[in-house]
Amino acid sequence: MLFLTRTLPLVIAFSCGVLAIAIYYVPHSAAQGMEEKLTLWLRIVAAFAYFLGLYSLLNLHWNRIRQHQAGWGYSVVAAVGFGLMFFFAVINDGDGPFAPQAKQGAYQWMFDNVQVACASTMFSLLAFFISSAAYRTFRARSPEATILLVAAVVVMLGRVPIGAYISDLIPEAMLWLLSVPNLAAKRGILLGVSLGAIGTALRIIFGIERSYLGGGEE
Amino acid sequence: MRYLPLCTVILALCAQVHSQPEPAPIPESRPELRPEPKLESRAESVAGVEAFDTPNDAGGSITVTWPKHPEASASTMYTVFLADAPSGPFLLVATVGADGSLKSDNPGMFGHDADNSHTHFAHIEIFPAVGEDEGTPLIDGKAYYVKVGLSPADDSVIPSSDGFGVPSGNAIEAVPGGNFFNWAKLNNFILGTFICLVILGYISVARRKELYIRRIAGLEAIDEALGRATEMGKPVLFVHGLKGMESIPTIAAVNILSRVARRTARLGTDLRVVNNEPIVMAVSQEVVKEAYLEEGRPDAYNPDSVFMAAPDQFSYAAAVAGMMVRDRPAAHIMMGYFYAESLLLAETGSTTGAIQIAGTDAYTQLPFFVTTCDYTLMGEELYAASAYLSREPRLLGSLKGQDVGKLVLIFGILVGTLMATFQMPFLTHLFTSY
Amino acid sequence: MKALDIDRRIIFIFVFLGVAIPLMVDFTLPIKPTPPVIAAYDAFEKVAAEKPGSTILLSFSYGASTAPEMQPMARAVLRHCFRLGFKVVAICLWPDGVGLAESVLAEVAEEMGKKEDVDYAFLGYKPGTIAVILNMGQDLHTAFPVDSKGVSLAQLPVTKNIHPLTDFSFVFDFAAGDSIEFWWIPYGQEKYRFPFAGGCTAVMAPDLFPFLQSGQMLGMLGGLAGAAEYETLIGHPGQATEGMRPQSVTHLIIIAFIILGNGMYFLSRRSSGQATG
Repeated sequence: MLFLTRTLPLVIAFSCGVLAIAIYYVPHSAAQGMEEKLTLWLRIVAAFAYFLGLYSLLNLHWNRIRQHQAGWGYSVVAAVGFGLMFFFAVINDGDGPFAPQAKQGAYQWMFDNVQVACASTMFSLLAFFISSAAYRTFRARSPEATILLVAAVVVMLGRVPIGAYISDLIPEAMLWLLSVPNLAAKRGILLGVSLGAIGTALRIIFGIERSYLGGGEE
Repeated sequence: MRYLPLCTVILALCAQVHSQPEPAPIPESRPELRPEPKLESRAESVAGVEAFDTPNDAGGSITVTWPKHPEASASTMYTVFLADAPSGPFLLVATVGADGSLKSDNPGMFGHDADNSHTHFAHIEIFPAVGEDEGTPLIDGKAYYVKVGLSPADDSVIPSSDGFGVPSGNAIEAVPGGNFFNWAKLNNFILGTFICLVILGYISVARRKELYIRRIAGLEAIDEALGRATEMGKPVLFVHGLKGMESIPTIAAVNILSRVARRTARLGTDLRVVNNEPIVMAVSQEVVKEAYLEEGRPDAYNPDSVFMAAPDQFSYAAAVAGMMVRDRPAAHIMMGYFYAESLLLAETGSTTGAIQIAGTDAYTQLPFFVTTCDYTLMGEELYAASAYLSREPRLLGSLKGQDVGKLVLIFGILVGTLMATFQMPFLTHLFTSY
Repeated sequence: MKALDIDRRIIFIFVFLGVAIPLMVDFTLPIKPTPPVIAAYDAFEKVAAEKPGSTILLSFSYGASTAPEMQPMARAVLRHCFRLGFKVVAICLWPDGVGLAESVLAEVAEEMGKKEDVDYAFLGYKPGTIAVILNMGQDLHTAFPVDSKGVSLAQLPVTKNIHPLTDFSFVFDFAAGDSIEFWWIPYGQEKYRFPFAGGCTAVMAPDLFPFLQSGQMLGMLGGLAGAAEYETLIGHPGQATEGMRPQSVTHLIIIAFIILGNGMYFLSRRSSGQATG
């Protein structure tokens, strides 16, 4: 059992990792063919991850309903919503599940009027939250906080037409802020994060990092 | 004297020719009467032609280079001919303008020599066919023969594919083939190998001696947050972020979760771990269970404390925000990669009065965490966090190796900028990816 | 001072009014395109001039939550592409972008008199993100054997002669997440070196400036403001331009609250200083 849960995954991680790195430097058609195969397998695994996610979600909500845990009514709503969407996706406006997705029908209606509406509403909450966060935190308590405050005001004005209406300098200042200090900070963080990614990838390839296998130390 | 009459006749004939009146101009309506322009039967041959297998490719291509012809002008063009036998027939495969396709346009293949701006190149991948047939790709291992000529650029004198316009002179042989190493990426390979060896080396060193890591304020606050939660008798909420187990920030978050779980097991504090991805949830369950086992508190582990809220971004955010408001955890630890839901979570959490510690390498979300959380780990500090908390040699060594990598990059940026300022682009070229 | 701790709901009400009222009251604001948006526009124009009638790839990597921000951008870019005579191939790398991409394609194509399969093709969604891009880099027909209707790509006039990604004269990604920074640039543009530009949500725009500066991206549309600027450039104001009214007013409201908060903060510091002094 240890072979399947520990040794085999480590062997697969090592061989695929080394192979993927080698393919990057080898232009030969054999290497490119192998890359094509690897990426096709990756896509198949990614597609199967959806089934895993589906099972987990349904299992989670079923357990909540069965055990009458707190908020189990919402699990009923989630299950019914899933069932409805799945049902109408299969019906596919009368064309059946093997035809291309119909552009009309109940499934499309629910997507446009429920999914899009709810998701964009949740996203729009950010506008309110950022307003209250900005009011609370953009205080000139120190020189650094004052610079942050001024930069935020310049960028907020520069990103909308009213900034250019007030003065042409505002959009120019906004662009300078984004193109110089912001770019420098982002690039620095990007370089550091990339090195971190290299370090973690190396540890995974050489089996030093095993947390992705689930618990346990080396 | 005997030839005098003959000479007289010849002279008279010559006079007749010269006295011929000018031919009448051909009317515009009769263009078919216009004579064909006089064409040279062969293009002028270009010297210094080289032909070779295109480097750094999968095969099926040859590259031809030649220096600029001293008599080339805007009204001339280079013509490249190809044959599969030394004797021909040579077929036109490419035309390059007098200012087109210079080696300096492709430094990845040809480097940065000063001569490159005076040398043309052409890649040939298709062997042309006569007539209406489509050409065929070049075959690896088969010899092809190349000639390059210089012709007027006028469309009416473009050489046809039947051998007309082919320059004289010997053809250059080239054999296409696949390559086993992309030499244009040699700088990338050396730098990457160097960083990898440094990281692995430091991991090995860290196993033998203690490596220093600077204090990270946000991580020291975790103990304070857990202690506060224990005193208040409230749970601790741990949030991973949205990415899956394959992503680096989630791995770092899981490492931190392991340490946090050990401490909550020791303190007897309730821990809630909310996931949005089933694989991350499965790993988190194992990690927390292991942590409780190692602390000798297997009875305190509650499997329901590590659960999946929702797979969708905003459903997950709504679920976590609801939990924050209803259950009022005393500490929120948000580690991982976040998207737009970061502000929803952090702002809601700040209204509940909980102590909030966040860590992310999502550059876009850092401002939101900085303004709403008590402590924020930025970028790499998230990766350093797991090393800091655990003091494990593999993690500490990896961190040190990354620091050396950063030093190399800093050196490259500073010195390279200085050198480039003084027109010495050596380092710039060294770090350019092709 | 109590005023320092204004109830959040008061701020929320003002923000709500700042969004709702300008939507109902019509007034125009001059929109001045910024260099990143102009660069994207010019990139399309240049490719159209150099390779008229060529095929471009549009990648829809956003979902339902960012539809209000990204759909106007997609409309504007599609209008420009069709006007320039490009053939358009559209794909989705996010599963919930399929319905959105299909609707915007159908809408703009009908408006511009373009025919599916001849002038544009929609290939649908494929899981795998970077794996899909790597596959497309070698052969589009391997990554997407059929289009969203199940028709083989070899039979579609738009796609039958397109194989590696480099056969596209331009690639444009509409991104609401990682797709530009972590998918298209490292696994697409860096590897295959095709002309690339993108549009993103406003919050992500600062993230992408390094790629603009390095030339990996030829242009960028940031958020609804970027979409409005693009609508101005193509001379076809739409939803994005209308959205600039509430956005401008709301930004002013937030700035007003920040100034108010700082005013209260300094007053409270002065009064507490006087009390202790």
